[in-house]
Amino acid sequence: MTTTLAASDVTLVDLVDRLLAGGVVIAGDITLAVADVDLVYVSLRALISSAESVQVPAMGEST
Amino acid sequence: MIELYAIADDPTPALPEDAGSLNVTAYGGLAAIWAPAAERAGARGLAPEDLWRHEAVVEALMAVRDLLPVRFGTRLADPAAAQAVLAERRDELLAALDRVRGAAELAVRVVAVPGAEVDAATAIADVHPPLAALARASAVRRGTGPDLLRGAYLVDCGAVASATRLIAGLDDALPRLRLLCTGPWPPYSFVS
Repeated sequence: MTTTLAASDVTLVDLVDRLLAGGVVIAGDITLAVADVDLVYVSLRALISSAESVQVPAMGEST
Repeated sequence: MIELYAIADDPTPALPEDAGSLNVTAYGGLAAIWAPAAERAGARGLAPEDLWRHEAVVEALMAVRDLLPVRFGTRLADPAAAQAVLAERRDELLAALDRVRGAAELAVRVVAVPGAEVDAATAIADVHPPLAALARASAVRRGTGPDLLRGAYLVDCGAVASATRLIAGLDDALPRLRLLCTGPWPPYSFVS
């Protein structure tokens, strides 16, 4: 089974990588509970791991 | 409670008229940009839309100012608490702002083309050096899952177009690899 990784999916993975794991860290009251982060990563991991064979659009292509 | 979006220089350009609830709290040449905290995602869970909405605010701010993006979901009790953070970490934050001034982040992930057997070390050796040569700074690591490499490159804003052309060229020149590039992003990977 092949899965086409849509451009939006590529961007979402990079978005999550940045917003949840990057940026200035301030010891405040972080809204993001562990469960919330897990929810995001679970849905992403299902997306990524379901793609045994991934067809990725070349740069400039849309899907 | 307030939710933080970014830290910028003070004085900072006026916030756009449609900025809604955005506010600025300043101290010592720094400005914390924040909004009153909305209800927590809580039981309904966090959706991509929550992240995109936040990101749209940060990118709109970045269009007219240099900034350090704050990690998503960072909340403080009130503006006084934000001012205290600026005071406590003033030197560090000023130095970080100087490092990212006039630059944006490009995200580059490398996957193997279906059927191709490529190891991470090869992917990194083929892709990283030419990109690093174009960038002010880089943060690269071996990827997980299908990613051979996950890279973040801090590139002068004026060099973003040539960097993306280089990445497209590498994608063409390396038939066993596919390069996934997104951005330009605020410099999330280069704030410390």
